[in-house]
Formats: sequence, structure tokens, C-alpha cells
Amino acid sequence: MPLHDISYQHWQGTHLTLWQRRLVIARNGLNGCLQTKPMAQVIVVCWGAALVMAGLLFAVGQLLVADSIIVHWVGNFNPQLQTFAAFLTTWLEQHPQISVRTTQNVLFHFFCLYLMPLSIFALGVAIPSLITRDLASNAITIYSSKAVSLGDYLLGKFSTAFAVLSLTWLGPVCAAWFMGNLMAPDWRFFWHSRLALGHALVYGLISMILLSLLALGVSALSNKEKSTPVLWYMWWVVGGVMAPIARHTQPWLRHLSFNYDLDQLALAVFRPAVDLRIAQDNIPILGQMLKSIRPETMTALSAPAIGGAVLALVIMAAAACLIIRTRVKPT
Amino acid sequence: MTPAMLAPTVIETEALCKIYGTQRALDGINLCVAPGAIGLLGPNGAGKSTLMKCLLQLAPITSGSARLLGREVGREGRDIRKRVGYTPEQDCHIPGMVGCEYVTYCAQLCGLPFQAARQRAHEMLDFVGMGQERYRKIDTYSTGMKQRLKLAQAIVHDPEVVFLDEPTNGLDPKGQTQILELVSSLWRTYGISVVVSSHLLHDVDRICEQIIIIARGKVLVHDTLEKLKARKRGAAEVVVAAGQEELQAACRRQQWPCELLPNGHLKVEHKAESLNPLLALLHELKLPPLEVIPSPNALEETFVQALEMSHAAP
Repeated sequence: MPLHDISYQHWQGTHLTLWQRRLVIARNGLNGCLQTKPMAQVIVVCWGAALVMAGLLFAVGQLLVADSIIVHWVGNFNPQLQTFAAFLTTWLEQHPQISVRTTQNVLFHFFCLYLMPLSIFALGVAIPSLITRDLASNAITIYSSKAVSLGDYLLGKFSTAFAVLSLTWLGPVCAAWFMGNLMAPDWRFFWHSRLALGHALVYGLISMILLSLLALGVSALSNKEKSTPVLWYMWWVVGGVMAPIARHTQPWLRHLSFNYDLDQLALAVFRPAVDLRIAQDNIPILGQMLKSIRPETMTALSAPAIGGAVLALVIMAAAACLIIRTRVKPT
Repeated sequence: MTPAMLAPTVIETEALCKIYGTQRALDGINLCVAPGAIGLLGPNGAGKSTLMKCLLQLAPITSGSARLLGREVGREGRDIRKRVGYTPEQDCHIPGMVGCEYVTYCAQLCGLPFQAARQRAHEMLDFVGMGQERYRKIDTYSTGMKQRLKLAQAIVHDPEVVFLDEPTNGLDPKGQTQILELVSSLWRTYGISVVVSSHLLHDVDRICEQIIIIARGKVLVHDTLEKLKARKRGAAEVVVAAGQEELQAACRRQQWPCELLPNGHLKVEHKAESLNPLLALLHELKLPPLEVIPSPNALEETFVQALEMSHAAP
């Protein structure tokens, strides 16, 4: 016999707002994603990379201090190198805007390119718990019968994918920037590095939105848990392998790889060619070394195929929306 | 009194149509349904589930209009569904979740804050008779447990109307009885209107007060069960301890068709509004009846008759 009243009780209370209900869907999705071991491992690697990046930024900051630890440390190996480092330091002190902005822009460009494959891998792990499982179990019907619409459901799932990418991409980028500049010798580093952070955020956010949408589309392609991650990884790997080959045969084929398109977007946002030219023209010795870069490399860096990349990404996003619209509905 | 009890109508439809490709699943449905326990009857493929889905906006309406709890379906979907519960026919759980977690999540989707949702989930799981199995993953549940869980998630947010699509499917007789008792109590005790879609007449007969019979996407009958039974008052089943032949002979003399049923009951078509002529005959024959069942199988006969009429119609 039950110890308490088991009869039906009416409920009266304040309801959650629509945005809170959408958040419930996103949070539940994220909880599901985080329960897998590979996801936890990828997140740890990304945040570990953020620490390394913060260390690098600290090292760059130390270069701007005349008697810094790094200059002393370099001197232990070679006194000539110490003289060069001291010279470089003096130069950097005179051009803090170039040294901080350019260096951090390059570093954040590389950092974003490093985080992207990890994030794509993490999305592959998350894909079954986005839409695939709900399609398999008819859970869409349950969602649609509650006080949320299909749009709210998709927004919640999109937020789940976006939250995963925030943990593997946006979070580490912001944390690395903050920690790196916090340990810098001057508060002005925050100001001088604003452009690098801005580029990283613009590129990161655009990529995250697109990748989240593409992941939702792939997740809705099938109701088999094992199929959708395979499709995602196949698209990524085959596209990645095909892009360099297609450069010499059918260049437009490269745009079928979202990875390639995002790389072109990164070149357009970070504009590494501008940084290289500044370095070539301004930094003594190192500038001369950088002038030996091949002209075709400079051309590739200064003129990314951004038009084709944007068009391809828009088409991919539209295709993902179409798949979601066709496949995700109550049965 | 709950809002559902006070509302003049729970469902109103006007020329409601739903077309899938070339098939008209709903063909000009006009309904005005008062609160209560409502049975939606019809053969497989009649359009019962489609009607429910259209009302809940799970399937878009092709033409016509529908109002649920006084609100326009299609315009105020979220607000309507906040006040409505639904148990689909097929399994629709969220994989990997345990029972109580699932019901809590469903409550949150309907707008209950987490603490309230969790407390209410446990209350509803108690109400539907689920014990410690609520802490197990849903994937491991038996059909009966899943049906109970579906009922719990449908009522966890305290709706005013609950739509139940074939709620006793796959249950053993004991499980069927338990679920039907729970469903019956929702309206009779707690004032929550219940719309039960079923092809099992017996289930609907036990718990519903209003009957809607649908076939080929059209409403054939919509009336209270009492009135439907009243239409079939000219028949009764009589159980007598002895003298069955004598009674049969007397009925024939009265020109009342009678038939001995396999269960030993004698079905008599006395063609009168009341049972008085039949009881007078029994008294005259000095045959004390063990039981007299007025209008037996009224629902079944109405159902069959309605279907025959629909088939006969061009």
C-alpha cells in the first residue's frame, strides 16, 4: 500500500516561457551528447589546446619586455641569439601595434584551423543525438504534441549543436585570448589584440552556425544511429582528400568540401597575406626571410576563392534546411 | 469544477478536410463536442487518428476549420497543446532516458519548471501504477509499462483534454482493465475530458459517454451512448434458469423474433420502448428471469449499421 496519496492532483503554477522551453530541449540534447566518452575527450583536447595557446601568447608578450625570462633563457643557449632577441625586443617595443596585432592574428588563425577538425569530429559524435534518434523512436511526435512547435524543437537541436561547438571552439578561443592577454606584461595587449579576437569570433561564429546547420541536415538524413555519423565523416574526409586533387582538374569540385570552403573563409577573414606583407616590409631579418615565400603561395593567401566558397556554403545550408523540412515531421 | 467541465465545447470543427495525396482522410467533418469521455470509433483507416492529429496540429488541415477548447487550431498551436495531452498509438519515447526522467522532460516541454516537473512526474507515475521500474531505461519496458508511461506523460502537465489513440493496444485483459479504469477516472473523478480513439467497441462502451463513429473520413454518428442505446431499445437478452423453450414458443406467438445465443442467453426483439411487455410475458409464464439485459450490443449494432449505410452510400 502506498505511503502517500496517489490520486490525481491538479497543478497550478507559473509556466516556463517559450525561450526557457527551447532551452530545455537544447540542454537535454547537450546532456545526451556529453555522456559519450569521445566527446569528453575531444573537449579536453580543445581546452588543453587553449592552455597551450595561452602559453604561446604569454611567450609573445614576454618578447616585448627587455629583460624578460625568454630573452634570458635564449641567452643561455647562444649569446648571439640573446643579442638578436634583445634587438627584436627593442624593435617590437617600437611597433607594439604590429607585433601584437599581427602575431596574435596569425596565432588565432592557426588556432582556429587547429580547432576546426576537432569540432567537426565532435559534431560527428553528437550527430546521432541531434535528430537521428528522435526520428528512429518517433519522438518528434511527442515533441510536437507538447507546448513547443517543430520550429522550437529544431531551434533547440540547433542550439545543442551550437553548444557543442562552443565547448570545442568558441570557448577555447575566448579563454585562450583572455588568459594569454591577462598574463601579458601590459594591459594594452587586450586593446591591440582586439582585431585578432574579432577575426576569430567572426570566423568562428559563421563556421559554427554553418556547421551546426549541416550537422542537423546530416542527422536528419537517416533514422539509423550508425549511418549518420558515417555519412558526416565520409563527407568530411572525402571532401578533404578531393579538394587538393580537384585543384588541378575541376577546381569547382573543391567547393563540395565544406572544410575547404571554411578554409577559404578563414583566409578571407584573417587575411594572412596582409600580415605577411607587413612582416616582410617591417620586421628586420625575419622580413627578408619571409620574402622567400613563393609567389603562388602569396597569391593563394591573398586571393581566396571566397565567392565560390560562400556560394557553396549557402547551397549546403539550403540543402540541409530542405532535408530537415522534408524529413523532420511527426508520424 | 475544472475549466474543461465548464467549457461549452471541447472540439468544434467545420467542414474539416485532410487530404493525403489522392486520398481524402477526412471529408468535411462537422463536429461540436461537449466535454466528457468521448469515444472515437471506426474501422482501421477510418480517419480517427488523422482527426486527432489535425486537432493537435500534428498534421496540417487541408481545408475547413477546427477549434479546440475554444481556440483556433493552426493559430494558437502552442497554447492549445499546453492544455492538451496526447498518447500516440505507436511507441514514441526518447531513447536512452529512464521513465521518470522522460515524464519530467515532457512536463518541462509543457512549461512546468524543473522542480515542479520532477515532483509531478513522480505523482503521475504513482497515479498510473508504476513503481521502481520508473528508474529503468524505457527501452527495457514491456508494452504495458510503455502504455502507462504514455498516459503519465500525457497528463503530467494537468491538461484539460487528453487524446488517447488506441490506449489498450497490446495489453493483456488485466492491463486493459487497469488502463481503462484510470482513463475513466480522469473524467468522472478529476474532470479531464478524454477522447479515446479505438476500434474496440467494448473499451469505448465501458468508459465513454459520447460516441463519434467515423468511417471513410466522415462522421456517421455523433450522440451520447445513452441515446444510442435508446435507439435499440426494442431488444433484450433474457437469462432464465429453466423453461427456455417455453419462453421461445411464447415469443413466437407474440411474433417477437428470438434467438438462443451461444452463451445461453435468449435474445428477444420485443420491439417496444420499454421492457414492460417482456416482463409481463415472463410473469405470465411464471418464469423468473435471472437477468434481463436491455439493448445488448447497442453500440455494436449501431456501429455495424452505420458502416453498412456508409458502404451503401455512393
